[in-house]
Amino acid sequence: MGRWLAARVAHAIVTLAVAATLLFFLMRIVPGDPLSRLSDDRPISPREIARLRERYGLDQPLGRQYAAFLSGTARGDLGVSIEFGRPVTRLIAERLPATLLLGGTVLLLNFTLGLWLGVRQAVRRGGATDRWLEIASLAGYSVPSFWLGLLLAWLAATRWRILPSGGMHDVLLGPDAGMVPVTIDVLRHLVLPALTLSLVSIAATMRYQRTAMLEALALPFVQTARAKGIAERRVVWHHAWRNALFPVITLFGLWLPILVTGSVFVEQVFAWPGLGSLAAGAVGGRDYPLLMGTALLASALVVAGGLIADLLYALLDPRVRHA
Amino acid sequence: MRRTHLLACLIVVLVPACTPERPAGPSSVVLAVGEQSQVPVPVLKATRNRVADNDVADLLFLRLADLKPGGATSGESGFEPSLASGWTRRDSVTLAFDLDRRARWHDGQPVTARDVVFTFALARDSAVSPTLAGLLARIDSVYAEGDSRVVVHYRQPYAEQFYDAVFQVQPLPAHLLAAVGRDSLARASFVQHPVGDGPYRWVRSDGTSMIELAANDDFFLGRPHIDRVIIRAAGDADARLNMLLSGEADVLTSVVPPLANGDRVTSTGRLRLVGVPSTSIGYLLFNTRNPADTARPHPILSDVRVRRAIGLALDRPSIVRAVLGPYGVVPYGPVSSLLWVSRLTPAPAPRDLDQARRLLAAAGWSDADGDGILDRHGKPLRLSINVPAPSAARKAMAALVQEQLRQAGIQADLLLLEGPVHGERRNAGRFDIDFSGATQDPTPAGLTQSWSCRGGSNVARYCDPAVDSTLTRAITSVVPADSLWRTGIERIEADAPAVFMYSPVTVYGVSTRLHDVDIRPDAPWSRVWRWTAAADAARPDSAGR
Repeated sequence: MGRWLAARVAHAIVTLAVAATLLFFLMRIVPGDPLSRLSDDRPISPREIARLRERYGLDQPLGRQYAAFLSGTARGDLGVSIEFGRPVTRLIAERLPATLLLGGTVLLLNFTLGLWLGVRQAVRRGGATDRWLEIASLAGYSVPSFWLGLLLAWLAATRWRILPSGGMHDVLLGPDAGMVPVTIDVLRHLVLPALTLSLVSIAATMRYQRTAMLEALALPFVQTARAKGIAERRVVWHHAWRNALFPVITLFGLWLPILVTGSVFVEQVFAWPGLGSLAAGAVGGRDYPLLMGTALLASALVVAGGLIADLLYALLDPRVRHA
Repeated sequence: MRRTHLLACLIVVLVPACTPERPAGPSSVVLAVGEQSQVPVPVLKATRNRVADNDVADLLFLRLADLKPGGATSGESGFEPSLASGWTRRDSVTLAFDLDRRARWHDGQPVTARDVVFTFALARDSAVSPTLAGLLARIDSVYAEGDSRVVVHYRQPYAEQFYDAVFQVQPLPAHLLAAVGRDSLARASFVQHPVGDGPYRWVRSDGTSMIELAANDDFFLGRPHIDRVIIRAAGDADARLNMLLSGEADVLTSVVPPLANGDRVTSTGRLRLVGVPSTSIGYLLFNTRNPADTARPHPILSDVRVRRAIGLALDRPSIVRAVLGPYGVVPYGPVSSLLWVSRLTPAPAPRDLDQARRLLAAAGWSDADGDGILDRHGKPLRLSINVPAPSAARKAMAALVQEQLRQAGIQADLLLLEGPVHGERRNAGRFDIDFSGATQDPTPAGLTQSWSCRGGSNVARYCDPAVDSTLTRAITSVVPADSLWRTGIERIEADAPAVFMYSPVTVYGVSTRLHDVDIRPDAPWSRVWRWTAAADAARPDSAGR
């Protein structure tokens, strides 16, 4: 197992290094000047832009820029954002908690409620519950998250005014408001973005889980368990569900990075101060250091998602780790 | 199990419905903006000259004097005292400013002439502040006479000496910054926790979307009526509008376009619209050089008759009305409605399709093949227009421009470009027509940047020595130079280096719980300290109900 794990981790590190290199060079091939936006508000002369290009090392040959990027990354220094004029690591650190809170909530809802509903559908296949949940999941899966977000914000915040429309905190609450009011306040702000993302992602999980569970329930060992007189609940959750988890584990590996950096639209609609909107802004402004920082994080999560999925496979199925 | 489910459901439903109580006493104003300020200390901005930074700085720091609404930047009469209680002109190249002795930094230290001299030294150092250093190039020296008198000495006599001394530089506390090396200033903790001398003091920022300021109780011009100012940033326009409509924000900038937003805001009954003349201008910039080889003239647009014809083919008032409604005007020349010289200029030329066709015919363009598009030597009159995709107004106007040019026999291909790609092509001169936008300082002297032969921002390579000469004489004139300004702008208009499309009115959505609202075009939040508001307990948002 130790050797298997070491091989997987080494594989992940190589993948990350290749991804970082590709990102670095691809980003510079894409048209668009990272300094051109600096003159958006008020004119900056080309001479000043040239001076800034020198300051950020953008006038250097690509190979030298790459070497500087590698040595900086090795020291944990991702450079200074051109757009914000602040260290990239600090910008990411500021946004990470909001992203983790939103992404974590959605993951939690997704892989508890989504799995449970998928199993219920499979167990009651063809019944009213299955049919209604099928319709609901199809509808949820089909709705674009940004549209759903706009609709929920309009209904809950501007029309009914029962929940805040955006942000993560009530800005008037103050830093000395106390733990309980602050927690309640954050929860209130979390409801709409989490609901928007969850409705879409739960639908996908339900559908995956239903299909996998239907296949598992049809396997001979499940019939054997029933024939032995084991309680149906135990048959479903102990015998069948464990075998129906594999496709969902794959899904988890894919959702992990998407929920951290892929909720760009929802973050924007609800002004949620997370990494998704930061990454989108970096792409839009060709802010190379910030773009590399967020892209590296996303790549790391993709690799981590794959690694976690592999580990879970190995835990659930000994054949995997002995293969 | 079912009870557990029920309890979980109740928690999920009830917790969000609980609203934490806010303190009842203080009054606050929440300003919704599109961008979070990162360096609210203008002199220390090494890179981007952000409006967001300037707006926050206007609440924290004072200028020596403020521009009066509509005030001319030439001479001194367009200004009112602020940090300086008075000033004296000693000769044609020397001005002396007397600081208000009551002025204090937020840490209690007095504001002195040393602070002003120190800040000017930073501003004139191109390594610290490249943009300001260029703007202050005509200042020869700045020195202190005692604790409260600052003397500014200029290299030459010119009309905007006073403006240069007071508008660009907001003094910083030397006692907190003098010990910091100039290389380290941009990273100094001061940038994250600035100490100013203005009506509001820094409280906190979450780094991403919120800045909180508190009233400066000891502000020497009078304590602000509103206790707290919260500047809330959201990049998405819909998110910002929702904040205003839900009552979570009290003021929102740039409500329009789209026009429908204005109706949504006013229909609430607790919000109103406030229009403020804008510092912005939008124009179709003609490239007079060949985009493929900038050493050669543009094959179509180097002919002034074609450029004028394009301007005459457009019904600019109807285009502006369609996109901005009543919140925009057609400028004459490159002059936003904020620039005082806009009062000197005549009305822009109306659409004249017949004259446009005559000019094109004189330039050799005719519809020989009868396809509705003019051609010359077998080549169609076809031009591309680069349009920045992030600008809703320019995107909408470009479609109308395309249709109106088609009526004149000109085929215009719209290229919607991402911001950085648009900027890159514009700066490199890779365009036929660029739908440009600019935010102008209140001085017309800035016109030389884009409309003189050697202007730093003259990406279209427009060059008319007569314009250069006239603008230079207007700038260096020591007496009011209205006729020179008018002549220069008329000459630019006649050369038609661009079609000047619109100067928008910035439309603010403002809560009716705010009173005495005064928004200055060049410094929108600088008068917030004079606004009044009811206490927070009376706020209409969902959390405060």
